[in-house]
Amino acid sequence: MSGPPPVGSTVEMGSRFLRGFRSAVDGGLDPLAAVEAASTDLPKSLRDSVERMARRMRGDYHEDEWGFDEEFAEAAYPFFEFLYDRWWRVEATGVENVPAHGRAMVVSNHAGALFPFDASMITGAIMKEHPLPRWPRFMVLDWAFELPFLSAFMRKVGGVPASPFNATRILEQDGVMMVFPEGVKGTGKPFAERYRLQRFGRGGFVEIALRTGSPIVPVAVVGSEEIYPMIGNSSLLAKAVGAPFAPVTPTFPWLGPLGLIPLPSKWRIEFCDPIDVSGLGPEAAEDRRLVFELSEQVRETIQEKLYENLVKRGSAFV
Amino acid sequence: MGGRRILIAGIGTRWGTELALRLERDPAVESIIGIDTTPPLADLERTEVLEADIRSPVIARLLPSTGADTLVHAGIVLYPVPGKPARSLHDINVIGTLQLLAACERSPTIERVIVRGSAAIYGCEPAGPSFFTETMARSFPLRTRFQRDIGELEGYFENFARRHSDLTCCMLRYQPDIGPGQRSPLSRYLSLPVVPTQLGFDPRLQLIHSDDATGALHRATMSPVRGAVNVAPSGSISLSRALRLLGRTQVPVPHPLFGPAMAQVGGRLGAGNLFGDGLRLLRYGRGVDNTRMLDELGFRPAFDATGAIRDFARTEGGLSLAPSPRVASILERLAGAPR
Repeated sequence: MSGPPPVGSTVEMGSRFLRGFRSAVDGGLDPLAAVEAASTDLPKSLRDSVERMARRMRGDYHEDEWGFDEEFAEAAYPFFEFLYDRWWRVEATGVENVPAHGRAMVVSNHAGALFPFDASMITGAIMKEHPLPRWPRFMVLDWAFELPFLSAFMRKVGGVPASPFNATRILEQDGVMMVFPEGVKGTGKPFAERYRLQRFGRGGFVEIALRTGSPIVPVAVVGSEEIYPMIGNSSLLAKAVGAPFAPVTPTFPWLGPLGLIPLPSKWRIEFCDPIDVSGLGPEAAEDRRLVFELSEQVRETIQEKLYENLVKRGSAFV
Repeated sequence: MGGRRILIAGIGTRWGTELALRLERDPAVESIIGIDTTPPLADLERTEVLEADIRSPVIARLLPSTGADTLVHAGIVLYPVPGKPARSLHDINVIGTLQLLAACERSPTIERVIVRGSAAIYGCEPAGPSFFTETMARSFPLRTRFQRDIGELEGYFENFARRHSDLTCCMLRYQPDIGPGQRSPLSRYLSLPVVPTQLGFDPRLQLIHSDDATGALHRATMSPVRGAVNVAPSGSISLSRALRLLGRTQVPVPHPLFGPAMAQVGGRLGAGNLFGDGLRLLRYGRGVDNTRMLDELGFRPAFDATGAIRDFARTEGGLSLAPSPRVASILERLAGAPR
């Protein structure tokens, strides 16, 4: 084929592109095909992104049955990578405790009043540090799926509405399911109670793990509590917008949108040893006592590791 | 013994007519009788068409005299007929079904009853499971008039099935179907050159290809299973990707304005007025689990959720992404004469 593309000035390249586009449209191609046809003269990297854009515009990309769009997730990744590396300087340990193949349930503490970033940072840890990275799925508070933008975004990056049926289905499909048993009680607690684990519901996550025979990987996340220190809760505002709670932080809502910028705390994420429950069999899910015991075991493990990592971290922001 | 004697209520609907066309080619079927107030949509060769209203008590005398062993109710109406009050929907769907079931009680020959119902009974719930199974009906409040009608109808049907355990009663919960030549509000919506969507929402949809929809009804007619079965393609597709595959331009509208916008623009462009269920479907979407259809009913759809859209694009001449001539024609139609 032809040699390397001729190196010209950017202007020259741009005008060549436009001329190519023009003649392609005149030749009867539709605009997308014309852009692609005209892009043959562009440098490889540009050409690739033009092709990818055109392919996406045509709907020619993959979405799984949950609406997860891997290309979209990859496109959003650099932003979260910046948060991971620079903003929060995350130190992750024990990532290899997440099995490389097959189903697994990742259970973590939950915090970050305005926007719980913990799910995205755990995802970041698995994608960056695991020898065989794969995209985990995470449970999102139902309320988020009623909201414009957030609902569509969450689904495209791997969020699913918090329903036990969804968790079961994802585990049966041998996926990694991230759950936050504290739920709203975890994200909506005041700053003074930081790193104190709330009640783990009725242990529903253990039932699901038992029924599907999935190993449970407890995860302790330190740093997420300081990103939006919740000093108050405006129940009036919460009621007005139908939210489960409306946090007041030192910057939100006082500084408006600026208050949405999370504080740059220092994060540590520890993945603990997996708890294998497959030997107990699915019928063990009916055993209330066992379910509570396992739930308590997971809770204590996470609490212990939280305190340990808090000590290891030292100062919250430096 | 001869072949099967099948009675189709609602032969005048697309589903009734298409089912009759398939049954006519099926050697296991001895006779087909169709009833409706409107004639079938295609020429049927060996189907006996009777004009009768399922809402009238006449049905109770007519049905036993046919000697049918299978009743297929394909006459459920999914959206209001233009020019008729929304209430007539309730009459056809609920009262009609009730009369049909009452007629079945007087027909000693009936062995199977199949109803072409709707997955709308699950609703479109942002917080719901992403895939509803058959046991999850009514886990959320029934929010729209149509949902309440379907709920009532299913209630009667379950009752009927319980009292007549010797009959095989099968409720098919259909996801909306699309296919070539189809004129439902949803397919007309997807055929708009410029499609209003709800800003910030991108619902997951499962639209079943109309060939598969008829195939599933045929399968259920010949060998029904007891209870409810979801009829849906595998997988799901987001509205935005579907519109891209169809080569349509999206116009996001803030969601509180979407209903009024559709009533205005949609009416002018011939997309019809999307009723409440449609608005929620296009905001939150709905997925159902089709395991029971695949394994127990034994029906495998030819198209998955994406395939159905691709085929629709192919047959409806979608795929063209030529904006400029289209815009002119839209303006023309907007300014132009009424439909």
